[in-house]
Amino acid sequence: MSILNAILRRLFDVALFPFRELHPLVGLTVVSLVFGVAVLLVYKATSNQEKLATVKRRIHAGIFEIRLFNDNLRAIMRAMGDILRHNANYLRLSAVPLLWMIVPLTLVIAQLQFHYGYQGLAPGDQVLVKVELAEDWTEGARPKFALEVPSGLAIEAGPVWIPSLHEVNWRISAVEWGDYELTLTTPDGPLTKSVRVSDDVVRRSTHRLAPGFVNQLLYPAEDPLPASSPVQSIILSYPAGNAGITGWESEWTWMLVFFILSVVVAFALRKPLNVTI
Amino acid sequence: MRGLRTLQLGPSRPTRAFKRLGAASLGLLLLLGTAGCGGGGSAPGDAAEQRVIVLGIDGMDHALTRQYMDQGIMPNFSRLEKEGTFNPLGTSAPPLSPVAWSNFITGLDSGGHGIFDFIHRDPETMIPYLSTTRTSPAGRTLTLGNYQLPLSGGDIELMRRGEAFWEVLERNGIESSIIRMPANFPPTGKAHRELSGMGTPDILGNYGTFSFYTSVLFAFSGQSISGGEVYEAWAEDNVVESKLYGPTNPFLIETEKVTTDFTVYLDPDEPIAKLVVGNRNDDGTIDLQEERVLAVGEWSDWVPIEFEPIPTQSLRGIARFYLRSIRPEFELYVTPFNFDPMSPDLPISHPPEYAEELARATGLFYTQGMPEDTQALREEVFTRDEFMAQAQLAGADVRQQYEYVLDQFKASSSPQRLLFYYFGNLDQTSHMMYRVLDPEHPTYDPEIDTKYASVIEDLYRQADEAVGYTLDNMEKDTTLIVMSDHGFASLRRNFSINTWLKEAGYLTVRNPNMSNDPGMFVNIDWARTRAYAVGLNGLYINLEGREPNGIVTAEERPALMQEIADKIVQVIDPATGLPAVGKAYQREKFFKDRGEIEIGPDIVIGFAKGTGGSGKSSLGAVPAEMFEDNTEQWTGDHGMDHEVVPGILLTNRPLKQAAPRLQDLAGAILAEFGIEGFPARPETAEKAQ
Repeated sequence: MSILNAILRRLFDVALFPFRELHPLVGLTVVSLVFGVAVLLVYKATSNQEKLATVKRRIHAGIFEIRLFNDNLRAIMRAMGDILRHNANYLRLSAVPLLWMIVPLTLVIAQLQFHYGYQGLAPGDQVLVKVELAEDWTEGARPKFALEVPSGLAIEAGPVWIPSLHEVNWRISAVEWGDYELTLTTPDGPLTKSVRVSDDVVRRSTHRLAPGFVNQLLYPAEDPLPASSPVQSIILSYPAGNAGITGWESEWTWMLVFFILSVVVAFALRKPLNVTI
Repeated sequence: MRGLRTLQLGPSRPTRAFKRLGAASLGLLLLLGTAGCGGGGSAPGDAAEQRVIVLGIDGMDHALTRQYMDQGIMPNFSRLEKEGTFNPLGTSAPPLSPVAWSNFITGLDSGGHGIFDFIHRDPETMIPYLSTTRTSPAGRTLTLGNYQLPLSGGDIELMRRGEAFWEVLERNGIESSIIRMPANFPPTGKAHRELSGMGTPDILGNYGTFSFYTSVLFAFSGQSISGGEVYEAWAEDNVVESKLYGPTNPFLIETEKVTTDFTVYLDPDEPIAKLVVGNRNDDGTIDLQEERVLAVGEWSDWVPIEFEPIPTQSLRGIARFYLRSIRPEFELYVTPFNFDPMSPDLPISHPPEYAEELARATGLFYTQGMPEDTQALREEVFTRDEFMAQAQLAGADVRQQYEYVLDQFKASSSPQRLLFYYFGNLDQTSHMMYRVLDPEHPTYDPEIDTKYASVIEDLYRQADEAVGYTLDNMEKDTTLIVMSDHGFASLRRNFSINTWLKEAGYLTVRNPNMSNDPGMFVNIDWARTRAYAVGLNGLYINLEGREPNGIVTAEERPALMQEIADKIVQVIDPATGLPAVGKAYQREKFFKDRGEIEIGPDIVIGFAKGTGGSGKSSLGAVPAEMFEDNTEQWTGDHGMDHEVVPGILLTNRPLKQAAPRLQDLAGAILAEFGIEGFPARPETAEKAQ
């Protein structure tokens, strides 16, 4: 999984590089366009187009029947039954391409989330760095950790050791624009965490987590921590937001825009690409 | 054009990317805008260019300014004086900020604008209320069990009457930006841009209520804390769990405050902690709103707080946290909950989104009208160092925002425009630190006060820097006016008007032995009282037909007023051998404007320099002592006779129309734009006798 994530990270970094200094809507529109087309093609390749067309025709026939015989209750009821049956069939036929798409869709969403889901840091901004330890960390034993930051960042306060949460926190600040790595020195060796002080549309990793399929699926923006480390996560609280796509500051707003644009693109191109959906 | 300007200047760091899109489309919009205006609008240059900047520095004293200018501490003021004028500016009677600024805004005296004091009394109920703003709850509600659902909105009303000078400007096509103007909440909505200033409440509806959490049991037991609430909070296993208390839940029938949980995790070894705001669930998890790391002695940045009175409804506020101590005792101060300018629940700006624009440009900021927490120092929750640190944070907000506002003013394409910007830091800090200038003050302690000896001087230096910044950054040919609403003086002695009225036989108490009169007139025997005092400078006649238990007839009133006015100026403070009162002004004789005169006190007391009104008397109490040394932290004041605490007027060129008094200044500003005859008084207005 981590190898796949590394490939995807590189792929998305390269693909979105030309749009990094433009408004997020620009890159997102292009991504949505490509994604909409890709979805159509996958849908076409993995679905039974003939059967889908037949089922859709039968549904339309049922609707037409209801309009034609609107004074005949028995005919209407029979047509409604047919429509429901054909609808179920349509859903069954659609499920196959959807199953094909669910995995790549999840991977794409996870990658895009870390490009569009968080605001960047700017010089002067302060942010929390949270290090979570394993549940079996010896209760009360203060971890002998140290945080080192490069010259573009500064440690403002910390560490705060919270035994009950197995957690160590620092407050750091951004001093200059740039891409940096924090270094957490632990008895088991140094661990790093990326920090990006940039207002460009770039990949921002909020979590660097211990290895695990779900961890890597949901937080693919950075390599996993070493399996042997007692550190379970290093979390950097980038401000939630979408870099101003709609002015509505939510880490999920971009996704709404992405889905709407993708659906619009898919519907607009279904006839030129000769796809029945 | 208004929308265009907002697009050009509004977005800030959170929406920098949007700015790039905005910049791309700006050229096109400019073209469209120009094309749209070209047909019927006036071409640039049609109107004579005229720009006026007015800096309002609350509490800047003329004598002190003169002294600092002569000492070379205020070089920018001296530079302005050489180019223009520097004069004392006659203030209002009484010289209290809401009154003085209303004089400035309307060009009327209190008789015209209806603001006579911080506190007025309702003659029907005899309940004191804040003079500038009136709020009323929802008119009709639907009751469902323990809940009540409002069927109509509540209301908030600015009580200042008269026309604001910027209304006249806007009517004449002159763009005005009125930023942090006192006595202007809610904003009039008549200027191009407005941000309300002094008088803007916190989200509890008060002028500012701080919260103080302490593990010192009974720390404030038995004491009445003014301006704040004290809550007990202690650590268990290095975790402090408590609540932030918001306003009363408007959806509950029973009075109950809406709350949000917060948790403080204390480092077991080091003086540092993590603050987590968010409601705690039964399983121990927290619905995280915000989290911060704070070392002891540190202030947090602004923390957004959300209160949920009922699901789907929320009240938003912002607060800063100050971690005072974690060991041996836990002490945490939380500022009053200010409106979140990103989404204020009450109107604090015009247009409504202007507050958000300012926040995006320069960060979240204090929206409450008087942000310096003087009450926390008065109640000794703060030390003087802590007060100064908090006041500097508040002042920094204002100065930072000024740079943006000045840039915005410069960027405007309107040929005729005015900017008013208010600085309140000097006034509030002077109130608390003025004793450093007065070794004769009862609380002056050379060992302590020498440490703060330059505090007032620094405030004046900062004001000078603001003027210097303006001079360096304003466009050529801009008229710059620097003014203050009143001056300042040391407050050494307190004089209780109610006690004097009692001693002089005008007021009778129910219980002569009451040791701790709580105020609100509870100890006044109305059937045998002819006059009483409430507010800082107000003296009222217990008038038949006006007061609910009035005993003085309308015919008796003028003679009684004259008698009291004559006697009170003869009162001598036994400790100093000096008069306590400089002048007593009978309202019908003193005020020129009459439209709202019925609201005001019958006599306005102008205390002698160095003397102020007793705080207890101002709330309707009759304390035992007529005179007291002022032993509070509040050591500077201006609620004296208006003639002894003038403000300042500094301009970079002689004004076209003279303004010897604050009340004349708005007319002089309008005259700079060629507008005469402000304020417009009704023909029927009575003239002063």
